[in-house]
Amino acid sequence: MLGDDKDTAETAAQASAALARACRGLAAYHLNACVRCGLCGESCHIYRAEPTPENLPGAKAARVIGHYRRYATFLGRHLPRVVGARDFTPAALAELVDAVYGRCTGCGRCGLHCSVGLDVAAIIRVGRHVLASVGLVPAGLQRTVNNQLETGNQMAIPREELISTAEWLSEDLKLERGDDGARVHVDQPGRRVLYLVNPREIKFFPLSLMAAAGVFHAAGESWTLSSKFYDVTNYGFFAGDDDAARELTRRVMEEAQALGVQEVILSECGHGFRAFRWEGPNWLQREYPLPVRSVLELLEEYLAAGRIKVDPAKNPRRVTLHDPCNLVRWGGVSEPQRRILRRCVQDFVEMTPNRQDNFCCGGGGGMLSMSEYGDRRIASGAIKAEQIRATGAKIVATPCHNCADQLLEISKRYKLGVEIQAVVELVYAALT
Amino acid sequence: MLALAKAIASLAIGWTLVALVTQVIAARGGGRRDYSRRAGAPWKGVLYSFTTGMTPAHKESVRLHPGKFALGLVMHVGVIVSIVGVVLLLVWPTGALRVLSFLRLVCAVALVGGIGLLFRRVLSSTMRAISSPDDYLAILATCGLLTCSSLFPMDARGQLVVLLYAGLLFVYLPLGKLRHAVFFFVARGDYARRLGYRGVYPPVRARTE
Repeated sequence: MLGDDKDTAETAAQASAALARACRGLAAYHLNACVRCGLCGESCHIYRAEPTPENLPGAKAARVIGHYRRYATFLGRHLPRVVGARDFTPAALAELVDAVYGRCTGCGRCGLHCSVGLDVAAIIRVGRHVLASVGLVPAGLQRTVNNQLETGNQMAIPREELISTAEWLSEDLKLERGDDGARVHVDQPGRRVLYLVNPREIKFFPLSLMAAAGVFHAAGESWTLSSKFYDVTNYGFFAGDDDAARELTRRVMEEAQALGVQEVILSECGHGFRAFRWEGPNWLQREYPLPVRSVLELLEEYLAAGRIKVDPAKNPRRVTLHDPCNLVRWGGVSEPQRRILRRCVQDFVEMTPNRQDNFCCGGGGGMLSMSEYGDRRIASGAIKAEQIRATGAKIVATPCHNCADQLLEISKRYKLGVEIQAVVELVYAALT
Repeated sequence: MLALAKAIASLAIGWTLVALVTQVIAARGGGRRDYSRRAGAPWKGVLYSFTTGMTPAHKESVRLHPGKFALGLVMHVGVIVSIVGVVLLLVWPTGALRVLSFLRLVCAVALVGGIGLLFRRVLSSTMRAISSPDDYLAILATCGLLTCSSLFPMDARGQLVVLLYAGLLFVYLPLGKLRHAVFFFVARGDYARRLGYRGVYPPVRARTE
């Protein structure tokens, strides 16, 4: 793609145009503020696992800032070497790919602890946006985006498979709850709630969806899935492809309106929550016509209103909680899951640090789709493994399916011997 | 000669102000309306970020690197004092001389801090790897100002040196790394405002402390 001079020049022109676009919306504030103090290293789980200069958050940001300086500042244009300004050459773009996709999950912990207080993840997103605009998103991640755009879900699950999964789950649920009304509803117009799930729940972990259906049934909720657009994830967001992210958001919101629901409830998915709840309206450039909440907020509401009754003795083993970065540090939902677990499990212990300060598990930012960075991803989970081990917990609850995948691998690799569960699974297990 | 130096310094300060304001406006790019439903108070986020959020208890980088942070803090206090001194030299010379002679020690301590940071950048392989010439230039320029305001006697010759040096510094300030003098506030404020809007800032422990 970057084979000859003409291609290279065209790519550079496209990249600089994308950079200019990405800098609108205040990102340029942050591109001008980094002082390269080098104090951000320990805030980053990847740097902690491999403390090399290129893993410093400031160094990753500098890859993007160098291009900004080249195209948007006086000294960068006229004396590029003085300010570390860089052209969009094929080599520089390859280094940018490695820095912003391969060495950063966009978890934002470095920004929280930055001595200046700048949004490092926003800078990384500028880099991803530039690369997406010139077709340099890593292949695995791009494939996932394409799946979502072409089939409506990131795992390309056919509609028939969803329907058959919903049917056998409904049969099991009826048996378990002893009630013929307990089932997984699909494409039911006029329901109160449209529930979006991670396709992973359909394909590999259907018990998570069954648990949600069981709790909804116990609460007397009126809900449905959509067989067309049920995917809570948004890999356009991870890729830095705002057009794809916007399209995915638009489809779901239009489907919600077509079904006539009153509220969209998002399954336990960190980035899905952030993308749909916070970024989506800005991609669409309009306010949503109906509220969008995390299922955690809904579950807490059920408990507070007495719509479901739980017995913590049904979950006797020690449980700790992993905070997904996009849900907590970027999404502001940190307390509902804690209040839920305190009521549904007998022995709940916090990790240290926790909430906004929690370390990324290493599975965010689309890392799970990019196999070329697999070793680095698992290595970067070392600090999370130590956090979990220190709690002595037997179960790690996490309201995010990407985190759950990574935590499963971490548990195996670091021999933690813990179970990974969604919060709703623990609520379901505690139902009386 | 002193009058000429004052004119040069004044023009340089004017250039810096105009350039920085222009850069901030350009970086703002018309701003961004947030269409998502608000969950918190942006102002609370900003307040937290500029107060409790800067303390070692809340800022890991400060907690883990107290020495380096102290060097930076001391240097920046000295720089602010020096710049205030230069502005006073232009508008109220007698007062400036009193203030600068009183605060000379502050600037001298700040100079030590600045030299410490320069050494750190030169001696640490990690810091060298992430530094561009502009990073060294910025700290050298800053140390130069601190040298002028702490070591030079504030007679007519000393004032001349301080004003001319400040003139040069202010010409360079908006072009290189030193523009963080303004972008520190706007970037920090922007980030904190957005986190406040989402209810992330102030964090739960800050609300309950």
